[in-house]
Order: sequence, then structure tokens, then C-alpha cells
Amino acid sequence: MLLVLFGTGAWVLPGLSGWVQVFAQGSTVIRIAGSTTVLPIVSRAAERFQSRHPSIKITVNAGGSGVGIHGAGTGRFDIGLASREITPNENQRYASLHTTVIGRDAVACVVSSEIFHAGVRTLSKRQIGYIYLGKITNWKQVGGPDRPIVVIDKETHRGTRHVFMHYLFGNSKARAPGARLVTGSNNEEQAKIAQSDSAIGMLSIAWMNEDVAGIGIHEGGQVIQPTLDNVRNGRFPIARNLNLITAGQPAGAVKLFIDYLLSEEGQRLVAESGYIPIHSPHAVSRVAGSHSK
Amino acid sequence: MIQHSMFHEKGPVFWWTGLAGVMAAGTIVILFASLVIESVPVFKAEGISFLWGVDWFAGENYGALPMIFGSLAVTGLAVVMVLPFALASAILTSEFLSGRARLMVKAAMELLAGVPGIIYGLMGISLLTIWVRDVFGLIDGNTLFTAGLLLAVMILPTIMTLSEDALSSVPGELRDTALSLGLTRMETVTKVVVPQALPGLAGAVFLGIGRAMGETIAVMLVIGGIDRLPQPWFNLFAPGQSIPSKIGREAAEALGFDVQWSALIALGLVLFVMVMTLTFAGNVLLRKAR
Repeated sequence: MLLVLFGTGAWVLPGLSGWVQVFAQGSTVIRIAGSTTVLPIVSRAAERFQSRHPSIKITVNAGGSGVGIHGAGTGRFDIGLASREITPNENQRYASLHTTVIGRDAVACVVSSEIFHAGVRTLSKRQIGYIYLGKITNWKQVGGPDRPIVVIDKETHRGTRHVFMHYLFGNSKARAPGARLVTGSNNEEQAKIAQSDSAIGMLSIAWMNEDVAGIGIHEGGQVIQPTLDNVRNGRFPIARNLNLITAGQPAGAVKLFIDYLLSEEGQRLVAESGYIPIHSPHAVSRVAGSHSK
Repeated sequence: MIQHSMFHEKGPVFWWTGLAGVMAAGTIVILFASLVIESVPVFKAEGISFLWGVDWFAGENYGALPMIFGSLAVTGLAVVMVLPFALASAILTSEFLSGRARLMVKAAMELLAGVPGIIYGLMGISLLTIWVRDVFGLIDGNTLFTAGLLLAVMILPTIMTLSEDALSSVPGELRDTALSLGLTRMETVTKVVVPQALPGLAGAVFLGIGRAMGETIAVMLVIGGIDRLPQPWFNLFAPGQSIPSKIGREAAEALGFDVQWSALIALGLVLFVMVMTLTFAGNVLLRKAR
């Protein structure tokens, strides 16, 4: 019985990959997945790149930074997207991972627009920390309306969470006992905050919009707003690199695509997506906070 | 001669159906075995307390109780909410509607039963969470209750249409006899038709439970996604996590190795055993009832 089944399996699998090869005949496929922060840049770039190189097909999927790094390490993807650095643990697991930085981003602390308009425009690191620890549970404790705080956490492998928790607690894997919800992608987090009238969360600055307002961080007697200018000049404290992860040095079609992202045109796409290019200093068209959808 | 004719009788049809049967049974065996084998690392790391641990943090701790509780809570809630409606509408359709109206209702229900979970999930995330929040005055509408309510809506057509099949397959003579003995229409239904259809009704409910327990995406979008037991435990207006929703959120990240993967497989094993136990218990109860 087992033999029958395993036999069938062995038959079907090569059959499938054969079919894939038939469909992809004469073309190279680049499989990309990971961080939903990096994703908007890469899907824009993939579209343009493919029209210029019809023989190269690119698939782009979401999943989160953990998925991207893991997938690149196991060979499931050719390029993993990560909005955080590779952890020592991950480096240990996959010795040959190679990182290419294609841009910079910041993680803002965001609140529902109702809270923002009710007067909560800034919070200190300590206050945000206490909110995530469950020591501050009502908006009135930080100068807002008398309303419980809906604290939104993210899945533990998400790049945004690593960066945010590292800033708050000095530990990218810190726990958040005050959390009420856990979300995954930037989309999901953005949607849940917009739906609520009393939520707080963490979001890439490119994903803020009129329903999801970034608040200033009160630090050392001054307020630092989550704007691209403040990220560029290094004042905003929760910044990070946007990384492409490959197993070893990029080569072939993968290298061609990464080089495109690093080219002037690719870097313009980084800016258009609401992030900061690494190479030539392009004027950033959007001010953080005015970027809708 | 005789041998030859027996072989002849066991011709292609026998061998084909036999092979299919063996493959179906074999799939279950292999599935179960691989779940057990792949769960071993987490039980080695956490011991049996994996099952009642309340803390889950990838890379550090794996405790399954919040997910087990969440699955039971949302499924139980869904069944309790859906049963009166599903059975009542099945009885109405089978016993009181005209042939034409019955066909229309059936067609609509079967269509609904085939709607994919993601569609319900989208409705849930865009409408249901907000209604639940506003109607019950909660700070947020992503709760175990919301997931249960959504599941109730999802399994209604399945349970309703299968129950109706069971009821309408009760032979007409039984109804005629009951009526001619002087029973009222209502008594005929409750005393004759429903008891006769009981095995089929139970089957319908268990299929519904199976779908509810395994539903991933719709639940994932409205349950809150937090691996924590509600405080107090019976507060179903708190966020939580179900087994499929947990696996759905973490599988891609953990794929293939490490204790985290094993922990997710072990969650799958728990779900598998839960569904098996329910089905088995259902069968036993039915045999006793008859």
C-alpha cells in the first residue's frame, strides 16, 4: 500500500516540474517573496523590468521578512525581501546569505485618525513602551479622550516588529502583553487601525494615510516627526534598511534585476513608493503622511 | 473453472474500486503517521505540557492551550448558534414547502454552501467585526465571538441542506401512516420523521463541525490573532486564536524545520485528533440512540 502511494508521488512530481519547464520554456523565472514593506518597490520594478526583458518572468509574493529570509536560505525563492537585518540565528542557519540594500525606510508609531485629531500628536518612547506593556490602557492617560487603547501587535517574525520593539525595549523579540490584536502584513495592520477609532500600531511610513496618522516621537526635549526628511537626515530614531536577500552573491538574471533596482530608474521607483533611495539623492515626491493607499 | 469465473467477476471494476479504497485508507494512515513523526521534536522540547502550556512565542515557548481553546470555543459557539436555524429551515423546506419552492431553496443553499471561506472572511473583516463592536459596545470587534458568528453563517447552508436531504429521504408512507393514525402534521414531523432521519441529521451536523473546525482564512481575519486565553476564560468577547488560524499565520515562516515547524504540525495533529474524536463520539451516540 505504501509502495503504491509513494510510487504515485514519485511519478507525479517530476511530471509537474516537467510541465512547469514546458510552460516556462525559453524563459528564466525569478521567484521573489517576503516583506510587505519592500514589496511595493519590487512589484513596480518587476513590471518595468519584465517589459524590457521579455524572456525573464518574475513572481512576487508577500509573507513577511522572516518568510523572505527563510525562503532565500532554503532556495524556495531566488530573492527574499526583508525590512530588517538578518538575525544571528538566521545567519547561523544559512551561512551564505547575501544582503543588498536598495533603500531606507522608517517605522512610525501610528494611531487612528480620531485619536490624532483628538489631540494625541506625540508620545514619548516610554509612553509607547508602557502602552505595549499594558501599563497604560486608556488614551486619557496620555492626553487623549477617555477611551481604552486598542493596542495592535504584529506577528513575531515581521521586520516592522523587530525594528519597533528594538527601539522601544532594546530587544527585537520583546513581548507585548498589552496587545489586543495581532496582524500580519502592512495592509492588514493599516486596515485594522483605520477601522478602529482608538488604535495604536506600528507601520512603515510609506503606508500611513489619512485614516492612519503617524505621531511624533518625544525624545530628549524635542519632538521628531515621522517624515522622510527626518529619516534622511538621521533624526528619526526608528529607521531601517530595505534588503534583498540572496543565497550567495547574486548572479545571472537575479543580478540583472538587482542591478536594475540599484540603477537610477530603480532608485526612482524606491522614491515613488514612498521610501528613501540609497544612491543618488532624488527629491522625494511625497511627504510621509500624505501618502494615501 | 470456478476460480476463473471468480477472477472474472473481480474484473477491472473490482480492482479499480479496490485500489481507490486502499489509497483512501492509505492516505489517512500516512497523514496521521507523518503528523505524529513530525510532532516529535516539539514534544521532546516541551514535553506533554505542550498541550496545556499557555504561552507561545516562536523560538522560545510553545504552548497550545490558547489555540485548542480557541478552536473549541469558536466551533462550539457556531454550532450552538446555527443549530436552531439550520434544523428549523430544513424541516420547513422538507415538510411544508411545495416541490417547486423546495427546489429553489435547495438550489440557493447548495450554492451558498460552495462559497469559499475567503469570501466570508472579507465580509467578516469589513462588516461583521464592526457590527459586533458597535452592537456589543466593545473596544474592538475582532473576537472569538465574531469568529463563531461568522462560522455559524458559513456552516448554515451545509448543515441545512444535508439535514433537508436526510428529512426528505424518510419514506412518504411513514408520513401517510402517521397522519392516518390521527397524528397532526407537527406530531408527524417531531415524532416520526425527525427520529427516522436522526442519523442523517447527525451526519449533517458533524460535517458542519468539521468545516468549522478546519476553516482557516475566514477565522484568521476576524479572531484577533492573539495566542492568549481570554480573561476570564468564558469571556468570548475577547480576541483569541484557533488552530488553523495559528498555522496559517506561521506556516510560511517556519516551513520545514526547527521546533517551530514541529509545533505547528503538532497543532495540526491535535486538530486531526479532535475532529476524529468528535466523529467517533457522534457515531457511538447515534448507535446508542437507536
